[in-house]
Amino acid sequence: MKAHLVILVLVGATLPLLAQQPGQGQPSISTQRLKGPPTGPVPRLPDGTVDLSGVWVGGGPINDIEREGGLKPGELDALMRPSAKALMATRDVTMEPHNRCLPMGVPRTTPFPFRMVQTPTHKAATHIFMLQEGNIHSYRQVFMDGRKHPPDPDPTWYGHSIGWWEKDTLVIDTVGYNDKFWFDRRGTPHTEQLHTIERWTRLDLGRMENKVTIDDPGAFTKPFTVTFMATLSPQGDELMEYICQENNQYGVHTIPGFDPLTGETKK
Amino acid sequence: MRLSIAFILVAVSVLGGPRPVVAHHSITGEFDPSKPVTLKGQVTKIEWTNPHARIYIDVAQPNGTIVNWNIELAAVSALARNGWTRSALKIGDTVTVDGIHARSGAPIANARSVVLPDGRKVLSGAADQ
Repeated sequence: MKAHLVILVLVGATLPLLAQQPGQGQPSISTQRLKGPPTGPVPRLPDGTVDLSGVWVGGGPINDIEREGGLKPGELDALMRPSAKALMATRDVTMEPHNRCLPMGVPRTTPFPFRMVQTPTHKAATHIFMLQEGNIHSYRQVFMDGRKHPPDPDPTWYGHSIGWWEKDTLVIDTVGYNDKFWFDRRGTPHTEQLHTIERWTRLDLGRMENKVTIDDPGAFTKPFTVTFMATLSPQGDELMEYICQENNQYGVHTIPGFDPLTGETKK
Repeated sequence: MRLSIAFILVAVSVLGGPRPVVAHHSITGEFDPSKPVTLKGQVTKIEWTNPHARIYIDVAQPNGTIVNWNIELAAVSALARNGWTRSALKIGDTVTVDGIHARSGAPIANARSVVLPDGRKVLSGAADQ
């Protein structure tokens, strides 16, 4: 009897909460994420290669590459060339390229997930794709077939990426970036000389470390390494459509003098 | 019996937790946190779109005129991951929106909360992340 009473009270307490989850009898994805990433051994493909596939969140900077990447305050600033500092000083958050639905570049991430896809899976992968849900719907393509970088690649948002395995770590070496994306919301800059070496290591089922060496002699006096953690999204989470251009009203009527084509504001 | 109680306890703790909020950009570039607004009005339009879902509400002014406010919510994918669908609100619903005002002063706000007359908070996840 007592047990019944307890259940009644508990059910009563639960109902309004359930009502906040329309059409679903189970916790939402973001509520499940609060429990932390799943635990368990690193999954492997039949040939023994680490299986990185899955829907992941994070693994890069968003607000501040120095702080989020594990550097000491001021450490990055001390490496920045005067030209890079001068460029950064002209930037404010309203000028962010992704406000205009442009990609995040590397190693920056978004609050939205990405899916790692290795193909083929029955033998050594020739390609790895990172399918980005947000901002914007786009993909990174990593060539795993042993090819080299082209001698003079056209500058692009994601650059030219070649990859290989070092034991259980996926190494992605990328050159050929444009200088348009920002490493973080502070506007930490780079140049077309940027060369990144990412080391992705799946630590267990639910966590994947990304240790990135950033080498850009145009913006920094020496290379530096920052470390981030991606976490596996709960089972059942999938990439969702995110067409940023659909109804992007950024700045149009909210910031006086804002030009949505250039992202600049007439003072 | 023990199992059911455990299940319900888990359900309560899981469902009752705070919901993370997600935005594709920094909110404060467009909206001024020092200018909070509270708006009560009827929903005239719902845009279940990206990069932000939006609702438009008719707000009566003290002088009797009506101003249609554009209320920015989170991304659809973020709202969906928080458990919301586009049917959480319908045209004609009366809502109270707490938010922050656009820097331009136009009738546009970024929602911190959207509350129905019965006190239910809907479409949470609109603040800067």
